[in-house]
Amino acid sequence: MNRRASATIVLLVAIGGIAATYLLARASAPQIAAAQHLLDSRKWLDMLAPESYDNQPLQQPLSLIDTRLAHSQLSAGYRATLNGKSAAILLRSQTQGYVGAIELLIVIEPNGRLLAVKTLEQRETPGLGGHLADRPNPWLQGFAGNSSDAGWALKRDAGQFDQIAGATVTSRAVIDAVHDALRYFDDHRAALLGSGT
Amino acid sequence: MKPAPGLAHCMMLTLLLGSSGSLAGAIGVLLTFSVVVGLYGLCMRLLRPPLTERGRLVVSVLLAATLSSCADVLAQRWFLSWQQAFGLYAGLIALQCVVLEYNGFWRLTLVERGKRCALFGALLLLLGILREVAGSGSLGRTPSETWQGIVLFSEGLPLIGLIPGAFIVLALLLAARQALIRRN
Repeated sequence: MNRRASATIVLLVAIGGIAATYLLARASAPQIAAAQHLLDSRKWLDMLAPESYDNQPLQQPLSLIDTRLAHSQLSAGYRATLNGKSAAILLRSQTQGYVGAIELLIVIEPNGRLLAVKTLEQRETPGLGGHLADRPNPWLQGFAGNSSDAGWALKRDAGQFDQIAGATVTSRAVIDAVHDALRYFDDHRAALLGSGT
Repeated sequence: MKPAPGLAHCMMLTLLLGSSGSLAGAIGVLLTFSVVVGLYGLCMRLLRPPLTERGRLVVSVLLAATLSSCADVLAQRWFLSWQQAFGLYAGLIALQCVVLEYNGFWRLTLVERGKRCALFGALLLLLGILREVAGSGSLGRTPSETWQGIVLFSEGLPLIGLIPGAFIVLALLLAARQALIRRN
């Protein structure tokens, strides 16, 4: 009798537990997706001034061609527009850092100048290359305003930029990836800006 | 089994070290912990008497898994950025429930249980505060980075924010406690 009661309780708890978890997960799925979307757009678009665009760039990904670049790879592109005119192009770029892959979001103005760079993902050494994820990030801000013809290299490689102290490989990877993206923009300017200009 | 004194044999170390990297993480895990362990205690109190020894283990695992999964889903729904940063450790609360079931925690008096929970909570918050201040130089930074926290000094010691740093801080706290006890 005791065994039977015990087995019944186990069965009931199992069914109840699975049902409760399943129903809750199902009921929450739309809210979780909405929260994820909000989080993504906050994470991705906070470099653009809110009044500088009026569309939802993440809803309209651009179809990119030839995404394998010299030092990096582009995984997505988005266009921010204001009154139908292109305001900025966002390129998501992946490159190899010292420890692992680095994901950058590179924002380029229609005139080919860099508006901002932001680190989306990185696993570099904390305290050295990991400073890449710091915000505000003076090192990444230092790139803004340059176009693809600037001296895109570290000073030690006869370029014009400083490096993150103690993280030459990381710094080089980021600079090369940004340079790649700017050159890609120059090469595919018409396709990226679309008919908006 | 005789209940072990203090927090020893409670296996709370993973949870304690993993989630105490920042104050926000510590507070969130502590809240989830209180809710899940509280509900688990209530349910098991009703279910325990008719169960056989083997049935108790299965029910305990099932219940702990259900409660912590539901807590995880709700955290995703309302606190997604926090969940993405600390959800991994919040999931360990399920394991914690089963460990508590078998180390005699629920046979203690209510006062005794309250004391242990308070000790755990205080230790978690203290570690969270110390590690965030020493590790990043600021306090109260939120995972979504909408607020950078109170900046106390600009450069922290990143090691303290990592798991090995948690061992170091915990060891220093234990050493300080020993020194105090010995002096008295």
